[in-house]
Amino acid sequence: MGRPLDLFAAASPEGAWTVSQVTRRAHAVVEAGLPPLWVRGEVSGFKAWQSGHWYFALRDKAAQLRCVMFGRDNRRLPAPPSEGMQVFAFGQPTVWDEKGEFRLTVYELLSTEEGGLWKLQFEKAKAALARDGLLEPGRKRALPRFPMRIAVITSPDGAALKDIIAVMGRRWPVAELIVLPAQVQGDSAEYELCSALAALRRLEVDVAIIGRGGGSKEDLWTFNRERVARAVAASAVPVISAVGHETDITLCDLVADWRAPTPSAAAEAATPDRDDVRAALEQLGQRLGRGLTTRAQRAGDLLARSQDRLVGALERRLERLGDRLAAHGAHLDALSPLKILGRGYAVARDARGDVLRRIAQFSPGLAFRLRVSDGEVPARAEQS
Amino acid sequence: MAASSANPQDLAAQLERLEQIVRRLEAPDLDLDEALKLFEEGVERLRAARERLAQAELKVKKVLEHLDR
Repeated sequence: MGRPLDLFAAASPEGAWTVSQVTRRAHAVVEAGLPPLWVRGEVSGFKAWQSGHWYFALRDKAAQLRCVMFGRDNRRLPAPPSEGMQVFAFGQPTVWDEKGEFRLTVYELLSTEEGGLWKLQFEKAKAALARDGLLEPGRKRALPRFPMRIAVITSPDGAALKDIIAVMGRRWPVAELIVLPAQVQGDSAEYELCSALAALRRLEVDVAIIGRGGGSKEDLWTFNRERVARAVAASAVPVISAVGHETDITLCDLVADWRAPTPSAAAEAATPDRDDVRAALEQLGQRLGRGLTTRAQRAGDLLARSQDRLVGALERRLERLGDRLAAHGAHLDALSPLKILGRGYAVARDARGDVLRRIAQFSPGLAFRLRVSDGEVPARAEQS
Repeated sequence: MAASSANPQDLAAQLERLEQIVRRLEAPDLDLDEALKLFEEGVERLRAARERLAQAELKVKKVLEHLDR
């Protein structure tokens, strides 16, 4: 287009375009030729209207672009941009027919200082994770006290792995370290990290560390991918996230069960110190010995006390028996025939010792013996 | 041995059971017979745990098969 023939062909019957026709046409041309895009510039002449719409211009050294951001779009932003602020604006270039003005209808506005495009993606993914409850503090699992199999998902030749191996070799060499190599930056990083996280399920490890050493925001970005964060959240075992340096907090850190500021700190968080465990073990050993000694001593004491009580009981029982015997003795004494003889009775017995009880037994002239209280007297029945 | 005698490799289980044994052994109402049994088990677990802690060097293994999916 632009050739005179085309313009004439498009002309109205009056032979000239109306303003509306031209603006409408410009409007269509601009929107067809410029899809929604990100524009970077400096905010100038910002004005917030009663209606809630924002009007301002984006400028650089050579040009300026009028912008409007409607209330429905700017409502989501935490604050309006300040004068002179460097921003990213996402919007549709268009023509404002009524004023014949070329402008940008802005849908999204980000300060470049806060991370711009990166921040947009981060915040969107974070909101999605929060919606699914994946950022709840209650989801965080406790790390195992004595992990014997520890997985590490990181670059096989990065400093992070070296640091982790060094710390674990010093603190907790009794464990087995299972390295799942993965690219931690670049195009394949997202796929490789997710794939390694999925592989955890088959490896029967106690805990996993995912991370990398420091780097630029772009280098660390894979750890802000929603897919990677979701794979961390889906892990069957507790995950420690250690990405970059202390100040870099990624989505991966937010969903992990534990966030370590550095890979070395992750290795420390994952493991106990063997010297401490040994000391605790020896203390348990001592308590074990003391426990049994105390228990045995108590049993001995109990036995001694039981013995004392037993002897006491026996003694008391014997005493009672003695008393009873004495009583029986007195009784027996009372019944003794000697006692009866003492009262003047006598017993007659023949030579065989049989007691003579009736007259018929005393045949005339029978010799017999008479037992009286103090002895026997020989006697004889009278001849009749 | 008690029902909780897990995989001897499982140091966590060993130590937890050992702690449990010591606590039981320190309880005042324990039968002497049981105390002896617990002591014997404790000594055995102590030995196993010491052995487990003796591994001198961290084993490092690289797993590559997860990328072949």
